[in-house]
Amino acid sequence: MTQKTRSYLTVLIIFLILASLWYLYPSIRLWTMSESKKQTLKTTEPQDLISLERKALNLGLDLKGGMHVVLQVDQSKLKENERRDAVDRALEIIRNRVDQFGVTEPLIQKQGGDRVIVELPGLQDVDRAQALIGQTAQLEFKLLESQENTTAILKKIDEVLAQKEEALFEEKEEAESLEEAKEKKKIVEDLFAPEEPESVSEASDTTDTASFLEVEEEDLYTERPFTSLLEGFGGFWLGVPIEDKPKVELFLNNPDVQAVIPEDDEFAWATRTEIIQGMEYQKLYLLKKRTEFSGKYLVDARPMARDEYGKPYVNFKLTKEGGRRFARLTGANIKKPLAIILDGRVESAPEIQSKIRDEGRITMGGAATFDEAVDLSIVLRAGALPAPVKIIENRIIGPSLGQDSIRKGTNSAIIGFLAVLLFMAIYYKLSGVIADFAVLLNLTFLMAVMAALDATLTLPGIAGIILTVGMSVDANVLIFERIREELRTGKTIRAAIDAGYKRALTAIIDANITTLITAGVLFQFGTGPIKGFAVALSLGVAISLFTAVVITRVIFEIRKGYRALSI
Amino acid sequence: MLQILKKTNIDFIGKRYYAFAVSGILMIFGIVAFIAIFLGKADLGIDFAGGTMLEGYFEEPVRIGELRDAMSRNGYDDAFIQSLHREVPHYFLIRVKTTIEDVTQIAEDILGVLEKEFPDNKFHKDSVDGIGPSVGKTLQKQARLAVLIALVGILLYIWIRFDFRFGVAATLTTLHDVLLVLGILFILQREITLLIVTALLTLAGYSLNDTVVLFDRIRENLKLFRKKGGFASTINASINEVLSRTIITSLTTFLVLFILFLVGGEVVHDFALALMLGIIIGTYSSVFVASPIILEWERKSPKRFK
Repeated sequence: MTQKTRSYLTVLIIFLILASLWYLYPSIRLWTMSESKKQTLKTTEPQDLISLERKALNLGLDLKGGMHVVLQVDQSKLKENERRDAVDRALEIIRNRVDQFGVTEPLIQKQGGDRVIVELPGLQDVDRAQALIGQTAQLEFKLLESQENTTAILKKIDEVLAQKEEALFEEKEEAESLEEAKEKKKIVEDLFAPEEPESVSEASDTTDTASFLEVEEEDLYTERPFTSLLEGFGGFWLGVPIEDKPKVELFLNNPDVQAVIPEDDEFAWATRTEIIQGMEYQKLYLLKKRTEFSGKYLVDARPMARDEYGKPYVNFKLTKEGGRRFARLTGANIKKPLAIILDGRVESAPEIQSKIRDEGRITMGGAATFDEAVDLSIVLRAGALPAPVKIIENRIIGPSLGQDSIRKGTNSAIIGFLAVLLFMAIYYKLSGVIADFAVLLNLTFLMAVMAALDATLTLPGIAGIILTVGMSVDANVLIFERIREELRTGKTIRAAIDAGYKRALTAIIDANITTLITAGVLFQFGTGPIKGFAVALSLGVAISLFTAVVITRVIFEIRKGYRALSI
Repeated sequence: MLQILKKTNIDFIGKRYYAFAVSGILMIFGIVAFIAIFLGKADLGIDFAGGTMLEGYFEEPVRIGELRDAMSRNGYDDAFIQSLHREVPHYFLIRVKTTIEDVTQIAEDILGVLEKEFPDNKFHKDSVDGIGPSVGKTLQKQARLAVLIALVGILLYIWIRFDFRFGVAATLTTLHDVLLVLGILFILQREITLLIVTALLTLAGYSLNDTVVLFDRIRENLKLFRKKGGFASTINASINEVLSRTIITSLTTFLVLFILFLVGGEVVHDFALALMLGIIIGTYSSVFVASPIILEWERKSPKRFK
């Protein structure tokens, strides 16, 4: 190595160190920032925090937490011409839905012929995301059965069930006092007090009350086995306490009960449960089976924060043809509720306030939050998803597992690193310290390159870095052992260093190339975390060729003039 | 100068038949495991077999036995349940293998079982890992392809790099290393997961290092010692010469893996174990498998080395 090359290399090394620090600076700033400072920055300078997060080294889902879902698009029921772009449309719809969450850097990707990968890093509200993504979005609009008919049908169901109960528990049946019967009658009447939960209108005028009534079910049970389970009745819907849901479903599936439900009617559950007065309920609706309107006519739907009365609402637009149909439907059914049904579950049942043509709004009822308006608008916008989707892989990395992985990964990296440093310094003395310096630079360069390439750090990736530390000193071990050997044969320090580097080089390159081959294959075939491992290992091994061979050589060149070599 | 090993003169070559016996037996296990994996009969992890893993914690203490009983009462007889040490107490991992494609349903179902069986002790889910059998099948296919391509790639490189005999010996040694680790994992009844496959591929690349170092030295010495000494003693001398560096390079890598094994947590536990085994076996095989193959070959059909 000539004096000139050495100078060039020294300049290059210093430049690389500075460049690495420049690339690593955002990560270091972000990781050392306290949680409270992050919060203040989030409120005062959100743009700064976002750009910092973008520039810093990405953490994988397994460290940051979040969800990874693989969806399968079921094309079996599609016609040939629909099948062509079914997956792409599903992808678009899912992307559209995911965008609503405001997750930084979500990943939505087609995989193979009929799969879609969705990755939402750092997502907290996993259940909501999952419900939204997994929905197959067959959007329909149906009218509700009238209150009179509903009451009549519920009575019939009670009668049918009461007869059955009577047959079973005849001996337990006792005559009830007139007073009790009267009381019950009153309660049932109260139950039927109408309420306007949500409304659909052109202009907005909504009043909303969340009246809710509790019924003492034990008294009512024998006489009204079915309605006694319904703890509240809010005009258009029946409230079922979540613990009674299985029983209600059992009753509804009973053939005798089904016989009294009219042909063109059906019961449908609400999409979600809700907490009313500290209890969890799921609403039950009695719908007309006929699909009045379909989601395919929807062009757009946007959530709005507040109307004149401070309530969140959703604005929607329809196609021309849809507008004509919707005008006919809404014109004929003013003051009646219209159920918005997604996959057979009632998303919401706003009351039609006026005739709507191609533009309208749905005002959210009760104590609805803006998030609910957002979700409803997403559901509407999805229109009719071309084909049903099914979640076939579902990974949720919770905060506990993610933090545990970060802590254990960092701990083992630090301890492993220190152990190797210590070993090398003890075993090869000053030469070992030089090797340690090379390993340190290797790690710095590795992290910097990963940050610059926008690579993602995963737990297996940390394992890959740890492995790199162990492997990159191998090159120095081979060189040092060779130098020792050459010294033992009586060579001068200068000659021993030259021979040591020269002779060890082939073995070092061979060893690294085979590792690079496997890492390359793993990168090609691996899933997220494994890819992280492959990236860390291959970069680390490649960089070690420079740090362990070239950089240490530059330092050893200086030592050539020494009278004794500490090795 | 600090040295782990002073100049050694151990007769490694003379002990090769013992090594052949040990390697042979372990390789049989490896081959059995290999066949079992390809037939889908081995203990495959949920990422290959399909299934659901649920992690979370109870509010109140629960004995692992109670949890196991509760699960088997509800049809999950073969659920794998493990208590984990996390920052939150009463933390458990529950893993079931199922062939149901709808993966969200299984997690819901298990949560339902826990709610029913422990009504006064709420279970908070932290992480879920649900993999449908079809995803598992895809992954199996990909893993097979990856193993094949990686092995072919490494072999091609060895063949380009060495002459025929050393190439074959290095190839056989690599296969030996991978099969032996697989065999030991099979005996230890470890699940074959994606990370284990990753470890096996990594060690296929890494365990070769010792063999490469040793072969380099053997070739170097064969040129030097052509006139004096026999073939066997040249090989034996080469092994003794590079023994300390072979051990030290393995030692540094083993050291970091051992720490990963101890501190890295259950996610990378078996991964670190497989690599640790691979490093020990890789060092052993360079001495007791790779070199003897060269020797035996030379004995059967002598060839003049250039």
